[in-house]
Amino acid sequence: MGEILKGRAWVFSDDVDTDLIYHNKYLAETDPKNMPQYAFEYYPGKENFAKEVKPGDFVVAGKNFGCGSSREHAVYCLEYAGVPCVLAETCSRIYYRNAINNGYPVLFVKGLSDAIKAGKIKDGDQLEVELSTGTIKDATNGETFHGDAVSNLENDIMKAGGLMNYMKAKVAAEK
Amino acid sequence: MGKTSIMKIMERASGHPVKVGDRVWCKIDWATCRDFGGANVVLQFEKEMGKDAKVWDPDKLAFTFDLQAPAHSEKVAANQKIIREFCKRQGVTRLFDINHGIGQHVMLEAGMIKPGDVVLGTDSHMNLLGAVGAFATGVGNSDIAASYIAGINWFRVPETMKIEVTGKFKKGVCMRDLLTKIIGDLGAGGMDFLAVEFVGETIDNATLAERLTLCSMVTEMSGKVPLIMPNGDVLKWLVERAGPEVETLAKELKADPDAEYCRVLHYNVNDLEPMASCPDAPDNVKPVSEIAGTHVDQVHIGSCSNGRYEDIKAAHDVLMAGGGKVSPTVRTIITPATTEVQLRCVEEGMAADFLKAGIVFTNPTCSLCTAEHYGAMPSGDVGCSTTNRNFIGKVGKGSHTYLMSPMTAMATAVKGVIADPREILK
Repeated sequence: MGEILKGRAWVFSDDVDTDLIYHNKYLAETDPKNMPQYAFEYYPGKENFAKEVKPGDFVVAGKNFGCGSSREHAVYCLEYAGVPCVLAETCSRIYYRNAINNGYPVLFVKGLSDAIKAGKIKDGDQLEVELSTGTIKDATNGETFHGDAVSNLENDIMKAGGLMNYMKAKVAAEK
Repeated sequence: MGKTSIMKIMERASGHPVKVGDRVWCKIDWATCRDFGGANVVLQFEKEMGKDAKVWDPDKLAFTFDLQAPAHSEKVAANQKIIREFCKRQGVTRLFDINHGIGQHVMLEAGMIKPGDVVLGTDSHMNLLGAVGAFATGVGNSDIAASYIAGINWFRVPETMKIEVTGKFKKGVCMRDLLTKIIGDLGAGGMDFLAVEFVGETIDNATLAERLTLCSMVTEMSGKVPLIMPNGDVLKWLVERAGPEVETLAKELKADPDAEYCRVLHYNVNDLEPMASCPDAPDNVKPVSEIAGTHVDQVHIGSCSNGRYEDIKAAHDVLMAGGGKVSPTVRTIITPATTEVQLRCVEEGMAADFLKAGIVFTNPTCSLCTAEHYGAMPSGDVGCSTTNRNFIGKVGKGSHTYLMSPMTAMATAVKGVIADPREILK
């Protein structure tokens, strides 16, 4: 048994683009600690996310989460808000890469898009997430979902705490 | 089994045979940043490696100030300064300051990009350099900062989709309409993690501007990289800029005839009509004929997808055919991609025609790809643009945008409502 993370769900649709997660208006920001205050400000109905999110809460989304821009701000603003991971059916390539490079987990969860549309997972549901197995239990309604494990290299980068650390160790080992 | 272009490129860059799905370490030919993202990279690199740490090769770094140039705020100005000082400390000579234009286009014009080059950049539309056969990809600041350590980075070898295009565009219809059609068909996740080769007679005969337009939207379908190996006039142009080895590279990196594709699509453009992405997603596509007459407050022509000379010339043709004036009710802004493009517009007299028509003709930047730039829209306004994204509120909270070709955009500016350019060009 791995560690089980517990927190509330914040539920989003398919194709949540990076402007909805972290708007281009705030791109000049360079300090990750200042980024959570802008998270989801442009997402209709979730404008209050930044004020109300609690460390431990999860972001739950459908397909193609994080499509659009390469801005890493869109990862930082969730990571530094204390959101332990993103649960999405699929995630855009660049967002996934930015997450891995920060050691920030994104679980790919089959059927999540339909479950969201059918109301089987809702805002405020209490979730129990076991990252090591990819198991997600919605304690509010008893539904269980299964996420995919990440590949070996991505896992190694995650374990190193992100790409910078991984690269430093790799270069040192090859010298 | 033969190899696709991306497999050949990754074998060259990694130094060993690859297969789809492999994670491979590739050498980086260019690690580039913009004014946004660039300061984050510099700060991250120096925080992790120390202020005195040297990048692996200053001649492989480039910085392009294009998103907010000239700086519109003290914060942006300060970020640009962080980059200028870093370049000085590191000996980086390729700093394209506020007087150059959009990064990918500037690097291309400067002869820095060759087929097979591995290019990282803090711009998700970096991959439009696939228009000349480069493997360019948009990444965040961590990827660039980590690349500075040893000039390598990791990639997954993607599956490749092939799109074959045949036929000739009718008057008033262009490459932008084709890619709008494709994104409508495939959807926002339709090319997820894939490389895409564009082939066929229409592509073989396409100009560089048309190829850049086509490749610029692959990101909006979550594609990894589009690839077109240079031929004909494009090859000649690239050889003149980037050197004679381009010819050999284009030949060697072309896909084998028996290469394996995960999906093959065919498009014939003979009967294609003008298309538009409706609010608030690039894949919400309709023919322009269905939305003609829609109220519009602002029109913008430019950006990495449609800011080349040929795009501006096409818009100019529509303007002149329509009487040389834009509607006084529509704010119209034209932004060339680079200074080279801008200068040609000035020298050929088009810039004067635009000013006489009541159009704002700006310096080269990414301009209306962000709300933090001139042309930002107030809540409730409707814009038409040739940029590549129309996510809700992208250029101003509560505003909505239609995406379309430069010809359709100019027809709309002339008529004051969304209009089909074929009605003006007939």
